[in-house]
Amino acid sequence: MTADTPRLRLSIVGVITLSLFLAMFARLYYLQVLDHESYRVAAETNQVRIVREPAPRGRILDREGRVLVDNRPSTVVTVDRSELRSLSTQQREVLLARLARTLGEPVSVLERRLADVRVSPVVPVAVARDVDPTVVTRIRENQEAFPAVAVRQEAVRTYPHGMVAAHVLGYIGEINADELEARRDRDYRGGDLIGKAGVELMYEDDLRGRSGIRKLEVDSRGRVLRDLGERAPVQGNDLRLSIDLDLQVLAEQTLADALGAARTRGDHNRRPFVAPAGAAVVLDVTDGSVLAMASHPTYDPSRFVGGITQAEFAALIDEAHHAPFTNRAVQGQYPPGSTFKLVTSVAGLRSGVINRNTTINDTGLFVIPNCRGESCRFRNAGGRSHGPVDVVRALTVSSNVFYYNIGSQLWERRGLIGDLIQQTAREFGMGERTGVPLGSESGGLVLDPDAFQQRHEANPVAFPEGQWRVGMNANLAIGEAVVLVTPLQLANAYAAFANGGTLFTPAVARDVRTQGGEVVRQLAPRVIRTIDLPPEIRDPIHQGLVNAVAASSGTAAAAFAGFPLQSYPVAGKTGTGQVPGKQDNALFVAYAPANEPRYAVAVVMEEAGFGGSAAAPVARRLLEHLAGLIDEPGDVEPVELVQGVPD
Amino acid sequence: MTALGTTRRDPAAAWRHIDFLLVGATLAIAILSPLMVYSASRTSLEAIGAEPTFLVVRHIGFLLAGAAVMVVAASVDYRRVRDFTPVIYAAVCALLLLVLTPLGSEVRGQQSWFQFGPLSLQPAELAKLAVILGLAAYGSTQRGDLDLRRLSVALVVAGIPMGLILLQPEVGMLLMIFVPMVVTILLIAGARPRHLAVLVALGIFGIVGAFQLEVVADYQKERLTAFLDPTGDTQRSSYNLNQSKIAIGAGGLTGAGLFQGSQTNLAFVPEQPTDFIFTVVGEELGFVGAATLLFLYAILVWRVWRAAQLARDFFGTLVCVGVLAMLVFSIFQNVGMTMGIMPITGIPLPLMSYGGTAVLTTFAALGLVLNVHMRRFA
Repeated sequence: MTADTPRLRLSIVGVITLSLFLAMFARLYYLQVLDHESYRVAAETNQVRIVREPAPRGRILDREGRVLVDNRPSTVVTVDRSELRSLSTQQREVLLARLARTLGEPVSVLERRLADVRVSPVVPVAVARDVDPTVVTRIRENQEAFPAVAVRQEAVRTYPHGMVAAHVLGYIGEINADELEARRDRDYRGGDLIGKAGVELMYEDDLRGRSGIRKLEVDSRGRVLRDLGERAPVQGNDLRLSIDLDLQVLAEQTLADALGAARTRGDHNRRPFVAPAGAAVVLDVTDGSVLAMASHPTYDPSRFVGGITQAEFAALIDEAHHAPFTNRAVQGQYPPGSTFKLVTSVAGLRSGVINRNTTINDTGLFVIPNCRGESCRFRNAGGRSHGPVDVVRALTVSSNVFYYNIGSQLWERRGLIGDLIQQTAREFGMGERTGVPLGSESGGLVLDPDAFQQRHEANPVAFPEGQWRVGMNANLAIGEAVVLVTPLQLANAYAAFANGGTLFTPAVARDVRTQGGEVVRQLAPRVIRTIDLPPEIRDPIHQGLVNAVAASSGTAAAAFAGFPLQSYPVAGKTGTGQVPGKQDNALFVAYAPANEPRYAVAVVMEEAGFGGSAAAPVARRLLEHLAGLIDEPGDVEPVELVQGVPD
Repeated sequence: MTALGTTRRDPAAAWRHIDFLLVGATLAIAILSPLMVYSASRTSLEAIGAEPTFLVVRHIGFLLAGAAVMVVAASVDYRRVRDFTPVIYAAVCALLLLVLTPLGSEVRGQQSWFQFGPLSLQPAELAKLAVILGLAAYGSTQRGDLDLRRLSVALVVAGIPMGLILLQPEVGMLLMIFVPMVVTILLIAGARPRHLAVLVALGIFGIVGAFQLEVVADYQKERLTAFLDPTGDTQRSSYNLNQSKIAIGAGGLTGAGLFQGSQTNLAFVPEQPTDFIFTVVGEELGFVGAATLLFLYAILVWRVWRAAQLARDFFGTLVCVGVLAMLVFSIFQNVGMTMGIMPITGIPLPLMSYGGTAVLTTFAALGLVLNVHMRRFA
């Protein structure tokens, strides 16, 4: 080795050192000068978190502005599951144990909530709601110990009047994938709440506000250091319903009472009535708005707050428990029974097979002409005979024979005038959805011979009969065959008759207004069609309906005994709907005041007996309120059923 | 006798030849460093309710202690240090052994610290000096010619403390500092280039083998290899690297200003007062500040290199070369790591990073270089 070797080698080390420094300078220059801009932006976005704040929904008010659905703030602790997954198994266990301790809940409960498949996997899942402020402080002050855990404020629905109008109000829930897809270009995100039923669903756009955006400066641990300004969320508008809170409360309570009372009575076989369910509807006949809509059994809408479990929801729609979630006023489909005689009367008078003076002798039995055998013999309910009846008296006493006649004659003239009863029923809105903005409405059923045949052909097992015979038409005339109506359709048909022929789309909301009460959108009445009801048709029917309530022979007379009909006349029709294998449904429809109609009331009670004995007393109680005869709905006596007559 | 001759005999005369440039660069860096440590630590300390000056006060203490150590290391004639080298070497090896016993503490899977109340000692840092002195002492006796047998002895000298460090296991420091430092010293000490080439090849085999045989923990592998794929998973290993590059890049030409860096203040960069201290310089002082700091390091390294050249004897040269390698590879590894050109390892930036043992070791090493430099005529 030469002596120079170390010197040479030292020079090599020097060169290497120099190049290393040059590399550092070059890299530094690249990062800080050449590529500075992209890193500047990265640093800025690093420290700013954009937080979307859902707006509180608008409130839902009754017709007088009383609050039926409000919001209250709720503190929610959430866990981001994607963040949770990025932790090691051990870290995850430690975190869950710590969180469980802090929240005072067992770990198993947290794990179950974290496993909730109903929450979108990309949305932080709520593990605790209505959390105590001290818990919040403990989490916030020690955020590093709680990775993936966040605390947020949520506005949740609150129901100051409890279960009142649950079916009308509907509920809100977390948006699902389909709903999200349908609103892709609107301001919806996974985890948002959206109306699922009732007016919450139908007025979603009005009730939902505009979500706010907050820019927050955060540090690497997500602690918020500064609020960099925001676009405040705008609360949704209030929805003012046409529902009157007092009347609604009364309707629900009276319906429930009457069903309870019916269960203490026995049918003609001395079996107690099951009376499990029913509906009551009150309409303003002048504009079609719904003043009250009760459906029994009902449920507590606050159970939907924070999400309802599968089991709870299954119980709500279980037929074995009479499906409390079903709004029978718009989803229940019932044979209208004698209440259908309004339609048959109109059809009969229009066709000319009867006029107001046509009288027949009601012997209690109607035999189809040229027909022999028991199947050709039709009887009045209870086999009673009413003697000579015209259309007025036929409605008053609810003569079936009179209407069997009409049905039979209309069948004979079918070639000339078509299926007039069905046409008239459809004209009154039966067999089609009313369009009431409540979602999931049933259309009822009005079958004509062709549809009857088709139904048979499509499903011969369920519908063994396909040939429409005259007997079908006779039964149709008294509302017992191939026709089903919802309580709302029934009320709406009578409302149209009462107001002179205007059929409205029933409205449940009057207007949309700001929090300050300023009206944003007036919800005008919508007319479906006008029914031609000249006086020679309308008057005798009207008289018959008035007498059904007022005359001593009227089927609803017992129910209205003592009611001041002189000052507040009521027109109405009882009905007893027969369902094979079940007890009779009680129906009653009325409008009042009869001389200047304002309200239409329909009451349907399943398996509760005669319309006159069970349903009419409910309507009477509601009319007492509407007539101003009772002040406080809470003070009224329990409704009393009466001894009715068969119709 | 000339005046010059008189002063040479004077024991204090060596101080006349002191390298002011080296001292000046050292002091400049040491003065900048508390500012950076304070900036890096104050908000995090405030956030946990501690005194924001807690870390910087300790750091200044270490710097002052380090300065004292430097004076001592410069004062004692380095030839006496050479005589004491076996003692120093043995003592350090003893410490490396002791740290593996329950007397040492484990931090993040590495058994590498002694805790004495509020103070801690990292023997692996001291081992750098031990290896430098040990190799220099042995190499200087071989007249610049290391044949295979001598090389083997030198490798044993270096290998004992390195083996003990591997047991901790402080792999990053071993691979990134010790290995290149030892190779550099051996190169100057006269090892044959082909021997060194074989050695390097064996080293690479060893590293691959270590990875394959899972001697290296997974997280260490990840940290070591994160720089290879910086855009992969931002949430994990390379999160650190991304945040680090963002901090430096965001600094731009002139920086955000002292204590003004958002990446720094909001604690986006991990381990900032220690391993990632350079990001504070980059973000708050910009290219102007960071380049100036690199320039100061360059002067420092140049002066050490120069001392190696001027050294009166081969021991002095080898000590300076060792210190040079230690400094250069530490600086390049640390600064390179923060800029994404080197893997992420826990190597402190000399004189800048918070950390007592590293500061003391660096000052002691620079003291030795001053020692060699100023005694170049005596």
